[in-house]
Amino acid sequence: MRIRRHKLIQVSRHLRGGFLAGILCSVAVVAVAADLPKANNAVPALMQEPGVAWRAYQFGGRTRPPSPAEVPYDRTANEWGAPESGIGPITADPAHPFYNNAVAADLGVSSTYRVADLGNEAAKNLMPWAVDALKKQNALTLANRNGETRQARCWETGVPDIHEAPWEMYFIQTPKEVVMILGGPGQQVRRVYLNVPHSKNPKLTWFGESVGHYEGGDTLVVDTIGLNDRTFVDGYRTPHTTQLHVVERFKITNGGKTLDVSFTADDPGTFYKPWGARRPRDKVVAPYEEEVCQLNNDDIFNQGFDPVPTADHPDF
Amino acid sequence: MKDFPRRVRACAGLVGLLSVLSASAGRAEGDISGIWWGATYSPKILVAGGGDPPLNAAGKAQYATNQAGLKNGTIVDKPRKVCSPDGVPRVLETPYPFEIFQVPKGQITMVHELNHQLRVIPLDKPLRKYEELALFENYNGYSVGHWEGDTLVVQSNGFKDDTFLDSTGLPHSDEMVTTERIRKIGNQLEDVITIHDSKLYARDWQARFVYNQRNDIRIEDYSCNDPTHRDISRVKGVNEARAARAQGRLY
Repeated sequence: MRIRRHKLIQVSRHLRGGFLAGILCSVAVVAVAADLPKANNAVPALMQEPGVAWRAYQFGGRTRPPSPAEVPYDRTANEWGAPESGIGPITADPAHPFYNNAVAADLGVSSTYRVADLGNEAAKNLMPWAVDALKKQNALTLANRNGETRQARCWETGVPDIHEAPWEMYFIQTPKEVVMILGGPGQQVRRVYLNVPHSKNPKLTWFGESVGHYEGGDTLVVDTIGLNDRTFVDGYRTPHTTQLHVVERFKITNGGKTLDVSFTADDPGTFYKPWGARRPRDKVVAPYEEEVCQLNNDDIFNQGFDPVPTADHPDF
Repeated sequence: MKDFPRRVRACAGLVGLLSVLSASAGRAEGDISGIWWGATYSPKILVAGGGDPPLNAAGKAQYATNQAGLKNGTIVDKPRKVCSPDGVPRVLETPYPFEIFQVPKGQITMVHELNHQLRVIPLDKPLRKYEELALFENYNGYSVGHWEGDTLVVQSNGFKDDTFLDSTGLPHSDEMVTTERIRKIGNQLEDVITIHDSKLYARDWQARFVYNQRNDIRIEDYSCNDPTHRDISRVKGVNEARAARAQGRLY
């Protein structure tokens, strides 16, 4: 498009007499020319440039045993961290420490599956039916049966269990929604609708209905309801009901290098009190790669794993 | 200052004009973002201009093998059984909606409702060579894109050859390259895809897909083991396809 010369002269004449208008206009023109962000100033940069994501644990790159300072990090990388206050998440039975494959390799030990500690404060916060469910799962796991997480079996994780997997999380941010894409096997996608209320009767789904807003320029707050009861809240297979209500906070910290994810989960059908956990994710260069979870993911040692999601009959 | 409002209006006009200039000079591209949903579905890919896909002798033999295997169950249609990715162009002809994002800058992302399939398309990057990708092939291939005016041109290669081009088992080789020209026409999105696969086809051929803009809906969760999904029975062709499958007429 070309600006006609006489139009520019006309506009210039209009500008000459108004000092205030001129100042306002100059500022606006500079803003346009520099393509500066305007309303987006208050939006935390969860979405990074292509190929940059947030990963919960920097495994795989180390070619030496961990230093003493790295060992605590490796151990905590297995698990969600404790919340700033209040009841924390279910954790591993100290008699049966949990080491996933990567951490086990770092520590030079054999990998294990999760066995829940049923004696701590988090377990005492569970209603009896949920304790029974965990007891059964612990027994199965200790018998080397069905110890894999649902995420590893390619199921939709739901919320908050999406934070259990350490894989890269990519964000897409538009003015109306935030999309989270969890990389790694069994790529999962969930959506957060911004600045809108919840539906009156949301359909029960794997990731529920999430609405959110930004706070303080560095935080996305997400409120989720409408979760079906076919997921677990964690890698220990702690169950929940459809009354589950999760509030997550995604805060950019550490000079933009870390995404501190914290959440509280409330479910009057499962927990006596709300509980919470934290899961920091570091900014990493990790271009998106297609990974298909459900193929060649057989239960080759007949360990009673959950089947990968399979259709009874073709949808269409 | 008596003519202040007029001056402000003039200033606003200049700012608006410069804004348009800035946008058009910085990036000549269209806006294809939003939610799109095809109004029709065909299990058999419809060749642009009519007729059948121009399979060569090897292609005809492979198609016959696929159809026989799908019919007797020795070949599993994995995208409909365990919801693995459909591959291109089959992912373009699902009766479910999908969403296109044009952020972050330098990337187009297509998120499909059907099994939350993803196509991540870097912009202004070279198409990788077949030799580089032969050991790392993807179901939905590797794509790169660029804008030609308001048309997004997407080239893809590096496809695994165990997907089909449609729901009838139409084959492709792992040397297939596809070129899509995607543009908005009014409230519709058009994707014209050219199939280049000289191993199984006598010549390049095209198919055209059209989607309606549906920013009034939300993309829903989809899992293979869900008892129910979105009602797609009103997408023209779905009921016929389901009946054909039930009566063993699809293959």
